[in-house]
Order: sequence, then C-alpha cells, then structure tokens
Amino acid sequence: MKGRIQVVMCRLCSTGGGVLDVDALLRIASDAPNVGAAVVVDRLCDKATVASLAAQAKDKEVDRVLLLTCPKNEVSPFVYQTFVKKARINEFLIDSIDLNNEVVLPHRDDAQGAQAKAEGRLLSSISRMARLQPLERKTDEMRTKNVVVIGAGISGLEAAGQAAQRGLHTVILEKTGREVKAPGVVMPESKVVSMKGEAGNYVLTIEAGQKRENLECAAIVVATGGDWSDARGPLADKCRDAKPLYRLRQAVDEDRVPTGTVVIVDTPDPKGTRTKVQDYAWDEALDCAMDIKRKSPSTEVYLVFQEMRVSGMREIAYKEAADLAVRFIRYDRKNPPRLTAKDSGRLELTDLAQGEAVALPFDVLAYASIAANPDNVAIANALRIPLSPDGGVRRGSMQRGPVATPRPGIFVCGSAMFPKSESAARAEGRAAGIMAAQYAGAGKTEYGGSVAETDAEKCSACLTCVRTCPYEAPFIGAAGKAEIRLQMCQGCGMCVGICPSKAIDLHHYTDEQIAAETTTYLRGDF
Amino acid sequence: MIVAERKPLDEIAEMIAPFRKVAVIGCRSCVAICLAGGEKEVNMLVSAMKLKNRNEGREQEFDGFVLERQCEKEWVKEVEDRILASDIVLSMSCSLGAQTVGDMYPHKIVVPGLNTKMFGVPEEQGVWSEKCLGCGDCMISTTGGICPIARCAKSMLNGPCGGSSDGHCEVNLDIECAWYAIHERLKLQGRLDLMETVRPPKDWVPSHSGGRRVLVREDAKLTQHQKRGEEVVE
Repeated sequence: MKGRIQVVMCRLCSTGGGVLDVDALLRIASDAPNVGAAVVVDRLCDKATVASLAAQAKDKEVDRVLLLTCPKNEVSPFVYQTFVKKARINEFLIDSIDLNNEVVLPHRDDAQGAQAKAEGRLLSSISRMARLQPLERKTDEMRTKNVVVIGAGISGLEAAGQAAQRGLHTVILEKTGREVKAPGVVMPESKVVSMKGEAGNYVLTIEAGQKRENLECAAIVVATGGDWSDARGPLADKCRDAKPLYRLRQAVDEDRVPTGTVVIVDTPDPKGTRTKVQDYAWDEALDCAMDIKRKSPSTEVYLVFQEMRVSGMREIAYKEAADLAVRFIRYDRKNPPRLTAKDSGRLELTDLAQGEAVALPFDVLAYASIAANPDNVAIANALRIPLSPDGGVRRGSMQRGPVATPRPGIFVCGSAMFPKSESAARAEGRAAGIMAAQYAGAGKTEYGGSVAETDAEKCSACLTCVRTCPYEAPFIGAAGKAEIRLQMCQGCGMCVGICPSKAIDLHHYTDEQIAAETTTYLRGDF
Repeated sequence: MIVAERKPLDEIAEMIAPFRKVAVIGCRSCVAICLAGGEKEVNMLVSAMKLKNRNEGREQEFDGFVLERQCEKEWVKEVEDRILASDIVLSMSCSLGAQTVGDMYPHKIVVPGLNTKMFGVPEEQGVWSEKCLGCGDCMISTTGGICPIARCAKSMLNGPCGGSSDGHCEVNLDIECAWYAIHERLKLQGRLDLMETVRPPKDWVPSHSGGRRVLVREDAKLTQHQKRGEEVVE
C-alpha cells in the first residue's frame, strides 16, 4: 500500500536564504508519484498557517505529511499536533527534512549543486515516505510516582526541590555521608548498582551502606556533578611547579598572590585527548586572572589558549580583564605551547594574532582542566544512557530537551553533563526537576512507534540481538525465538543491523524503505 | 557449533570469475550464528561482488538465498531449480553444506565462500574459541571438564609441559595453558589427585587418525517399512 503525501515547504527555513529555487522544488514535488498536494508557506511555525495546511490535508485526502523545514528536533510540537488532531494524520506519518543543514550549508558556494542535491533529497524522501505504514503508540500505567535524584549537589538539590514542590515523592542518592537538608528521603553513602524495567517503571538497585535494595521510580534525575582534575599532561610533566588552576585560585583567595609572571594555559594535554577545558574553566580562569591583577597589579598575567569561550553576559569579563591588563595570547593549534627545556621556565608558542613565535618566561604555570565525574561511567552503564567523549552524560537536543537524556524519564542537569557555573547548574537543576515531575506526574508512559519487530520464521535464536541490545529489549520467548519487549525498545536499530538471519525489522526503516530512498536518490543507479 | 569465516573477496571473485550465473547459498544454522554465512552475509557478499564487478567491468548474475540447513538433503532439494539454473554454486555454509550440494549435483561446480575454522564456543559477541577437536573418545571427566586435546597446543594427556608460564602457553602468550586451567579447576573442585593420575596413551582410532568416520546408528535407522511411509510391522 502506498499513501498520498502532502509536501509542505517552509520558505523561511528550507530555502537557505534564497539559495534554493523553491518553485522548481515545488514543481518536482507536485509531479512526483504519491504526492497529493505540494505547497509553499512563508512560515510553517505559524498557528494559522498550520491550521490551514491541516484543513487542506483533509480536503485532498492525504494520509501523510512531509515537511521541508528546520532540523527535526526544532520543529515546534504543535505543528505535529495540529496535523494529528485536525487532519487525523498518524503521528508517525509526519516526517521532516532539513534542507538548510543537509544541502545548503555543505554547498554554500555552489547553488547548482545545492539545488540538485535538494531535488534528490526531496524525491528520495517522498519515495520512502510513500512506503511507510501507520504505527501505533501504546500506553502503560506507571506503578509509582517516585522521582529519584542521583547526587545531592547544587543541581541535584534544586531538582529535588522542584519535584517535591509538585507533590512527588523524591529520593536523593548521595555518595558521601555528609548531612544534606532536602525535601523527601535522602540516602547517604548510596549508589546505583543497576537498573531494570522500562520507561516510567524503572526499578533501581541501590547500594546504601551495607544494604542493597530495590527502588521503583517513574523518573530519574542524574545530577552527579563534576570536579577539577589534577591530571597532568606532557606540558605539566615537564614543569615541576605547574599546578592546576583551582590550586592557584585557592592561593589567590587566601591572599598568597604570586608575583612575577603567571601563565594560565588551556590544557595540560595539547592533543586534548585526556582532559578537555570546558567553557566553565574559562570563567574560572578569567576570574582568577582578574583577582590576581586586582590584588597584585604588578604581577603579569597571561592567558594562553587555543579557543576561549565564556557564555552570555560573562563575555563582558574579556573587556574587564583587558582593562586590568591581563594579556590574551591565542596560539596556533598546529604549534601548541611547549617548554624550551625541562623546568626552564620559558614557554614557546606561536601567537596567532601576531603571527610570530613568542618565548614567554614565567614564574607560575597553571593549567585549567576539568574532568568529568568518574562515577558517570558506572551510572551511565547502569541506566544505559550515553556519555560524551569527555565522560559527561550526553543530553538530547539543545532546543527541545536541554536537560533530557535520550532515554524517556531520565533527565540530567548541572556538571554531570560538563562543568558549569553555579548559576547554570541551579537553572538546569530546576529545569530537570520540573521535567521529571511532569513526566512522573502524567502517570502514564507511552511506547511503541518506530521500534523493532522480529520475524519468528527467520529467527535462528542465535542470541546475537540479545547480546547486542544496549537496552535489554530482545529476549528468547516461549516459542524459542527472539522477541522484543516494546517498552524497552528505543528504536536504535542495532539488532536490525547485526541480525545474521535478517529476522528483525525496524518499523519505518525497513530494508525496502531505506533502499527505496537510496535508489531514488541515486536515480535508480544502484 | 561449527565456526567459519568468509574468504577474502578477491579469492571468491577469482573462483567464480569464469562463470556467469552464480547461485550464492547461505545457511541459517551455525554459520549464520557465527556471522559468516547467514542471510545478511549472503546479501552483503552479493552486493560487494556487484560493486566489484562493476568497477572491474565484469558481468555476472547473482542469485543469493539461504537454506535452513545446507548439510541436509531435504532442504537443498527445495531449491533444486535455482541450483540447476546456475553455472556455479558459491556455498556460504561450512564445508559440510558445500559438499552436500556438490554430492547431490555432481555436475555442478560448487565452490566454498567460507573457511570452516573449528568447533567453537562464542565467548562474547565476535569472539569464538576452539574447545573440541572431535577425537571420538571424550576424556574431560578426568580433566576437570577442560579438553586438553583441543585446548593444549600439544594435545598433551599429562601436562603441563615446561612451556607453561604464568598460566600461558609458550606457543602464543595470548592463549591460556590448558593444563594450568585444568590444575586450577581441579584445585577448585578439591580433586587435585587427578593431576597425579597418569593417563595412558590415547587410542586415536575413534579420531580422524583412523580414517574417515561414518557413524551408523542401527537403532535410529528407519526400517524398510518406515522408509516407504508405511506403518511399522512388528
């Protein structure tokens, strides 16, 4: 069965600022098979526009919608909701492509190339779209409304406060034995060992002191925090007196202000493989540099960096620091700073602004490095959430879910992601607490949609999927064949790709659908 | 299970180069499970060959499919048409499957797409290790359940030898010494006296050394009546 598609192009978000010829794209879409209607609108995320589009969809009897607009996770949810409610379109039959990022950006100086690619992308999406089946979303009741917060730091306490304020029972897990004042139950000296269950009905196994217990919960907030690292890299190894930035900061705070020349470099490791300087480290570095200058104006302070970023209104600190005569030197990535000899007290580097080599004598060398919380690995393994290469917990989309992990019902805030300033950690803690409370408060979890399904006839019960799935969704059922627990399936497709018997399909990404898309893109030359 | 590994693409291409219609036959049993010759591997090989042929300007037709078990005649018989329609059969099963097809259709050229490696155990995803050689006279009751025939490079019956160091084998330090493992296992079970027991030379006749083995089970064979599908006559 092939459906009828309504193609909607948003002039604002899919033309690349006039690079693409929208009318030509529209003609191609109209002539394509299975297209019931093709329209261009000025701005898709306008309520009246979407309402009229939904009315048109109903009129033309289309059953699926293809949007050419901004990135998928930035499309306003109400666009989807309007089509679902007003035109009775299955929510899984609305898809979008982002021509700006996929086509225009890579072909910035090549309008022709961009247009050709956009046409291919449009046609290939139409041919895949036509082969999609409507999917269902199912719901499960939540057994509890508990919210578990891991970590009783700045962000964790904010999150717990918000959840408790909304009437949810909160449990805070704190790894140390320190006394914590917080709403709900605080479990000192506790850690997460493992997790079972599915979204909304998670069961955590917790080790508290000598005891192990299971805790059912609807939502989880990861607020493990992060800390300064003492990690030394090749640069610090060559300089006996090099110290981490936080130590310098402590000394300055205690009025032991260094004299002579202070150099703060961005990373102990020029390759950046071991530790990475985060934006927050630059906040600290700037503050520290300014404090030194305020307390001891005769001390020379250099900030040596490859890339420096502070966010928001903090940018004003650049100017303040410059006014205090803090010097900034941006070095060439290809020529990172190095010591002329071991313990020589002279740093050699190429100043990008001047374009020349500089030899910088110094009395104090400080390096800024913040490592992710080492506990993150065990927690992420237990909760099966992804980590970033730096070891921080990875969040979902910045626009739609800045405090959500890819797993429903699990949220993250504060320095658990990457080091943050206190105010940012507080704000995120509040956000995560509210999100967790909303999720748990709904009382129902949704699952299904684009998930995997096994074909018992083809399955040889080889256990490959069972071993591969990061979410423990596949199991060998009573019939001796692999089955998928739909509540656990995240639709990642790993089992589908690895199944040696090709017995698993991911709805909406079947071989036929992907092949249709690819073949069309390559104009049948496949 | 039987563990196999796909041959290099160039070797496969060379074997089938002179032929136009190629039947690529996989197997859903052991070689599917060890990710060498299941439906996915068959499809991947066909795609790879098509790409290679296009790059090198060769024309061939491929018919790729999988059988439940290629070592059983009934399953092979089901695809007889497709085998006969081909110029050459590329078997993506262990050598047993390839030889079954070859024996059934002696006029057809059947070439192997896989190298049959061993009787192996999947230790983790992507790792298989040999634990049995099929010697025909299992002795692991006396060795703590660990087979020295398969797991010792010398198949020693009374080990370890002088090349065992820190639990590893001198042949390859990545391999554990089977006799070290046996010692540890017996120690755990409180049966270290078995290390002192001398095992006499093994009778190798039940192994392959006695020539090709054919196993006949009279009790399992069908009677003439059963073979004709008639009722058993006592």
